[in-house]
Amino acid sequence: MSEPIVLGIETSCDETAVGVVRGRTLLANVIASSVEEHARFGGVVPEIASRAHLEAMIPTLHQALKDSKISLKDIDAVAVTGGPGLVGALLVGVGSAAGLALGLNKPIYAVNHLAAHVSVDYLTHDNPLDPTIALLVSGGHSSLLQVDDITGSITKLGQTMDDAAGEAFDKIARVMKLGFPGGPAIDKLAKAGGASAINFPRGLTTSNDWQTRPFDFSFSGLKTAVARYLEATPNYARADVAASFQEAIVDVLLLKALAACKQTGIDSLVIAGGVAANSRLRAVAQERCDKAGVALRVPSPGLCTDNGAMVAALGSLMVSAGRAPSPVAFDADSSLPVTTVSI
Amino acid sequence: MSRILAIDTSTSRSCVAIIEGDKVLYSGFRDGATAHGPSLPALVQEALAVNDVDEVVVGMGPGPFTGLRVGIAFAQSFALARQIPVRGVCSLDAIAAQVHESDFIITVDARRKEVYWARYTDGTRVGEAAVNFPADVFGTTIHADLFPDMVALANLPGNITEPIYLRRPDAVATADRP
Repeated sequence: MSEPIVLGIETSCDETAVGVVRGRTLLANVIASSVEEHARFGGVVPEIASRAHLEAMIPTLHQALKDSKISLKDIDAVAVTGGPGLVGALLVGVGSAAGLALGLNKPIYAVNHLAAHVSVDYLTHDNPLDPTIALLVSGGHSSLLQVDDITGSITKLGQTMDDAAGEAFDKIARVMKLGFPGGPAIDKLAKAGGASAINFPRGLTTSNDWQTRPFDFSFSGLKTAVARYLEATPNYARADVAASFQEAIVDVLLLKALAACKQTGIDSLVIAGGVAANSRLRAVAQERCDKAGVALRVPSPGLCTDNGAMVAALGSLMVSAGRAPSPVAFDADSSLPVTTVSI
Repeated sequence: MSRILAIDTSTSRSCVAIIEGDKVLYSGFRDGATAHGPSLPALVQEALAVNDVDEVVVGMGPGPFTGLRVGIAFAQSFALARQIPVRGVCSLDAIAAQVHESDFIITVDARRKEVYWARYTDGTRVGEAAVNFPADVFGTTIHADLFPDMVALANLPGNITEPIYLRRPDAVATADRP
């Protein structure tokens, strides 16, 4: 089975997503988001997300099958996000995927959401994915990973000690009344501002930090610094605050990602997760990677945020690598560590 | 006569059966209030080894939400994969079917010290199911802690398409916070 057709289901947070791939060719990527239902709560409400998943699941599956122009019997394997994520949300996808797999009598691969984010690059770039350094940045996660084999060997080099990068965007957007989710709003506003207008702190970058935890992140100090600045500066320039805040995050993410490339001798960097859709992060990453001689790979913005194609992509890689499928009675794991690629 | 895959995850028990009329071709269950995710597929795999099916009937609750949704998501996707019909029924009605009394109440645990319940007279549900504190549910014999009768579940009429939640999600809009 050199070109397996894999259907992937993702329901770890607020997107009900189904993707279909044939080998490394993307056939369908359908996303039903409940983000608008969460906006008035300032964040994702787990029970609202879970209800929306169940409501959207069958229509999303139908649409993905239609878009991919395959029939059910063409599917070689079903992949699903087994964790990490909101447990009630995960279980809708897991229940659905198990029903499909048993209904079709095909194997099921319960894969890691974070590894799937990295693996989606496999759909867009020709050169092999591993080894690579991966910077995974989203609303729930900020980690630096060393990927030796995306289907089985991932090492965590560092992670955030407090907020995730995307969470920092959401919190600052809330203080500035820019709405939820905050990332796209700040990205847009920042284009009219000065990236170095205000010197906000870069977390964990003292010389001591570089010695003791070179690849960990901290964004809570930055968040506090921005909040204090806003309080102390009644007529602050909104675009400058957005641009300078964004720059502080982008700068520290890339400083540490490129330091990881240098230390490990791996000259490939994948940036994945929702924050990888940020235009400033993409632009500065390209600049700095070119300078450092590191090959940068960033999925297209539509594949950075949560989607089903990434789950299908990792499933397809697992099939091709001859990895064993998940047992029929597996459980979703809300805190599945990134080093566990599949359950 | 169609062979029905009957599924219910509205209680702390994952229940699966294959029913043909009033004949039980397979019946199995696993207990565990947070184990529906792994339990249900294992039971269905066991069932399919015994017999194939050509229809699915699933309990739509009421019941604790997370487990309930596992059963519904599974049933709907399984039916899609097989291209066979799927129908939803009230889980309390399937529990009530095993009680042969003229007037009684069925309750099941709803967490947060509350129960889901419905009253049955002469074998028929009186009104809709509700969620209340046990102290507020009285008036006749109460049967608690029963599980669905899967022959009854498979043979219940109608088609309920939405989960029977009976509670709104807990969340306070940022604008309404103190």
